[in-house]
Amino acid sequence: MDLLLTLNTLMLLTLATLLTPIIFPMLSDNLKNTPTTITNTVKTAFLISLLPMTIFIYSGSESLISLWEWKYIMNFKIPISLKMDFYSLTFFPIALFVSWSILQFATWYMASDPHITKFFTYLLLFLIAMLILIAANNLFILFIGWEGVGIMSFLLISWWHGRAEANTAALQAVLYNRVGDVGLILCMAWLASSMNTWEIQQLTSPHQTPTLPLLGLILAATGKSAQFGLHPWLPAAMEGPTPVSALLHSSTMVVAGIFLLIRTHPLLSTNQTALTLCLCLGALSTLFAATCALTQNDIKKIIAFSTSSQLGLMMVTIGLNLPQLAFLHISTHAFFKAMLFLCSGSIIHSLNGEQDIRKMGGLQKMLPTTTSCLTIGNLALMGTPFLAGFYSKDQIIESLSTSYLNTWALVLTLLATSFTAVYTIRMTVLVQAGFVRIPPLTPMNENNPAVTSPITRLALGSITAGFFITSYILPTKTPPMTMPMPIKLTALIVTILGIAIALELSKLTQTLILTKQTHFSNFSASLGYFNPLTHRLTSTSLLAGGQNIASHLIDLSWYKLIGPEGLASSQQTASKLATTLHSGSIKAYLSSFALSILIILTSTY
Amino acid sequence: MTTLHLSFYSTFILSSLGLAFHRTHLISAPLCLESMMLSMYVALAMWPVQVQAPSSTLLPMLMLTFAACEAGTGLALLVASTRTHGSDHLHNFNLLQC
Repeated sequence: MDLLLTLNTLMLLTLATLLTPIIFPMLSDNLKNTPTTITNTVKTAFLISLLPMTIFIYSGSESLISLWEWKYIMNFKIPISLKMDFYSLTFFPIALFVSWSILQFATWYMASDPHITKFFTYLLLFLIAMLILIAANNLFILFIGWEGVGIMSFLLISWWHGRAEANTAALQAVLYNRVGDVGLILCMAWLASSMNTWEIQQLTSPHQTPTLPLLGLILAATGKSAQFGLHPWLPAAMEGPTPVSALLHSSTMVVAGIFLLIRTHPLLSTNQTALTLCLCLGALSTLFAATCALTQNDIKKIIAFSTSSQLGLMMVTIGLNLPQLAFLHISTHAFFKAMLFLCSGSIIHSLNGEQDIRKMGGLQKMLPTTTSCLTIGNLALMGTPFLAGFYSKDQIIESLSTSYLNTWALVLTLLATSFTAVYTIRMTVLVQAGFVRIPPLTPMNENNPAVTSPITRLALGSITAGFFITSYILPTKTPPMTMPMPIKLTALIVTILGIAIALELSKLTQTLILTKQTHFSNFSASLGYFNPLTHRLTSTSLLAGGQNIASHLIDLSWYKLIGPEGLASSQQTASKLATTLHSGSIKAYLSSFALSILIILTSTY
Repeated sequence: MTTLHLSFYSTFILSSLGLAFHRTHLISAPLCLESMMLSMYVALAMWPVQVQAPSSTLLPMLMLTFAACEAGTGLALLVASTRTHGSDHLHNFNLLQC
């Protein structure tokens, strides 16, 4: 049986299945969408996409589909080509599994929304754009998917567009993503002019790649994956509904930047400067986000900063020249992060819209399924041995500790790992354990299977995904096999330290003393003063610069002083000066005559 | 500078300064112009002799012709203005009707 043909056909069938809820309503009036049909479509697509992944695991066959070619310029061809390699074949089922669970959850979460079908259509469009991005073989198709996910993110964050904060958050997301897009276009332009191709399989260079296109790629990843410098949009994106946060801003869209770096990894691997930049940028992002998460009180913001911190960790892995490990972390992270968001959504709806963890407590007895899955997710996030997060995170920390690299990056990452444990335990303790701090009358109900089955499904994934992926996929680079015992246990030790600190600090909440405002707590609570500094300074300087150029430079100086009016005024001054000489007296004229004679007299010497 | 050159230069310069500074009588202007012309004539006449270029000996004759015309014009203007204003004092030359 022709396995390759089956693989290609099934992948295209997956994409076609996802397109049917978009196309069918246009064909006939009877074929309207409902949330259930869209959920079932995604479930079918997931089941179909399992087969190509199994074929890949069984036979190791990868393929490249090349459809129609856009011959715009004669010697630069832009084919629509899809690459079915390890990354896309593994990520398709994972993304579809997570999306199916989230869509099923959203049928309960958004049930009271009048435009629920439009919401589901938007989520489906986002999913299609994301899968195009994943399967793309050249940067052009990837850019189409890139822009698609950016637009859908904007539309979905501002879903409740009557709320001013949602609109500003969506605008922030679009602007920061745009700044990153400039980097991607820079890289594409450089590649088109020097390598005459945008195809991923042709992106190798025997010598060291110039740093400029790699800087463009890193800028694109910084924008899309919320690394430090272009990060404020990710916590602000929590203004969108929880299914949006779960799908876009935890599992799929924000990993697009990291995925781009994984795809163009052959270019990056030869340039040590770019790798070190990735390393340090990722280390800084992960520590900064973990620091900000320590003092957050909104449950969704804590999970958002946790996502940002894990994205920094993925960037660190790219900087270590280990793209497959970064992909492994993307895959395992998708499961437990989506589950954490769904649990938080269930808690928020049960408490009638309460998102502040200081007003939650003791929910373990009242929402048993949700809180147990929350605990599983948090343990997986911290890298508890043999849950999903352990296989990727522990390997990353081990590789970090045994590599020849910047000590600063290593220290920052280890500190961020312990901070991860601190804020995770803080969230768990304040939400689930201890005394109850919720108002007495709440619509608390998690008996709906639309809530429990996605969460438990994702919990199963969080426990087993790491194990399954690592047992079926061979690593391309040998992981470090031998290291001293303390180095091997580093991740575990810093996590346990973090847990101990968090448990000690959580006892402070029962002592009823106001927390003192220290410099560190103010820094953490105001997100590093980054938002007001950049948002106000950059906009005022750009607008002031624009005013200077448009009115002061062009209108006032070039037109008035130097240009036409300046010419007129200098001529006027000169003629005013000269008219004093035109007195009409012959004495003046003859004296000019005498003056010229005297000049002749003196000039002959 | 030779004595010849000195005499030309000094005659010309003194005459032109006299043209500029003697503003009492109108007749002093044509007089100074004549002496300027005279110095230029002598200079133009001596120059082909010095450089031994006989073809330039025509030049003073041309100059003299035009200078004579100009002197005649100046004298006519002098006579006409003396007829109407009574004298050639320059401070009388205004258009006062009374």
